[in-house]
Amino acid sequence: MIVLSSVTKFFGKKLALNKVNLKTKTGEIVGFLGPNGAGKTTTMRIILSYLEPSFGQISVKGSIGYLPENNPLYPEMRVAEYLKFIADIKGVDDFLETVQAVGLQEVIASKIEDLSRGFKQRVGLAAALLGNPDILILDEPTSGLDPLEQDKIKILIKKLAKKKTIIFSTHILSEVEAVANRLIILNKGSIVYDGVKPKARGGVEKLFKKLVK
Amino acid sequence: MFTLYKKELNYYLNNPIGYIVIVLFAAFANFLFVKDLFVIGSASLQGFFGFIPWLFLVFIPAVSMRTFSEEKRLNTIEVLLTLPISETQVVLAKFFAILTLAIIGLVLTLGLPISLAFTAHVYLPEIFVGYLGAILLGGAMAGISIFFSSLTKNQVVAFLSSVLVIFFLLILSTDFLASFLPGVVQDFINNYGPLYHLQNFVKGVLDFRSLFYFLSLTAVFLFLTIVNLEKRD
Repeated sequence: MIVLSSVTKFFGKKLALNKVNLKTKTGEIVGFLGPNGAGKTTTMRIILSYLEPSFGQISVKGSIGYLPENNPLYPEMRVAEYLKFIADIKGVDDFLETVQAVGLQEVIASKIEDLSRGFKQRVGLAAALLGNPDILILDEPTSGLDPLEQDKIKILIKKLAKKKTIIFSTHILSEVEAVANRLIILNKGSIVYDGVKPKARGGVEKLFKKLVK
Repeated sequence: MFTLYKKELNYYLNNPIGYIVIVLFAAFANFLFVKDLFVIGSASLQGFFGFIPWLFLVFIPAVSMRTFSEEKRLNTIEVLLTLPISETQVVLAKFFAILTLAIIGLVLTLGLPISLAFTAHVYLPEIFVGYLGAILLGGAMAGISIFFSSLTKNQVVAFLSSVLVIFFLLILSTDFLASFLPGVVQDFINNYGPLYHLQNFVKGVLDFRSLFYFLSLTAVFLFLTIVNLEKRD
């Protein structure tokens, strides 16, 4: 469970997050939506304790798996080598189960630099999933992928959500509509909407346009 | 920490560039020693230890420049620092990997004292202490280079800034600088140069002030690297 209470973050004099409040439950797929610089990545990094908030309090119960924006990986490593490296640091004995869960069997011996974007994204996702974390934070998990790969990742996220809390950020409105069961819209560092996603087709887009001018 | 150390070391040992740098270092070190051996006519490694700092001046920043610059450029630093591993462990793992490479480079020069021992009388403790001094110097230079690597995404900038700072430290205790500075000032700053402290080891003297000097120089720069990593904004 994640609780953010009045979390505020300044970068120098620039206000990045303004009194953000958030409480999540297991099984929730929370879609963070917002324009560039809205504070999505900053919020995620604060939840991860990668960044300290300037003000406010955070409480996180459970382990976290993280897929950062642009999916940074070590290109010179092989998939198995990379996942074993992450597994060893996380103290996880077996990574093969995760390899199967994300469908990486056929590229397990390949060098990461030789993989397609879709497979690279799965490697990043597998690294985040190692150790079966309670919370999964995915920063733009489908960014740069073709529609087919995007669909595969969306299906995977939905499958994983049953016993986890998943927070993902995106620019793609239809992605939130397809995957999330809770929508948070951020604009200029503040939460401008937090609730269920509109059920009507195109409802997310209408709401987004109304709130983010 | 050992997992990251192994990964870092494997990067160099599975990479032709790593081998090239180590072999070049060893080749230059061996060549420069043998070149003057018969001119000097003495079974001593003092000449060898005299030019090791100047070889390290290029070798250590060359192998250290990617340690954090590359992590920052690829943003893998974010992956690393959100794993259950502390900044201190990350810095130490990378430092010990570079130090291991420096030791491998020095091990490749062990043929020199071994061959000397067959042909003349050599005083082994002196050579051992000399090598210890070279390792400590390598560690201090690795600390400085890793720090500069943590400041930038650009490996070339990291390399050049490390070389510049290490070069400045090296010339602190040279006659070159003495010719520009008043004697009193020179005497004072001489004590802060790594070459001055290395000299004690090269003579076979295990001087604890010099030991402390190298360890604290290394610790200061590693500490600064940790502080820099913790400052993420």
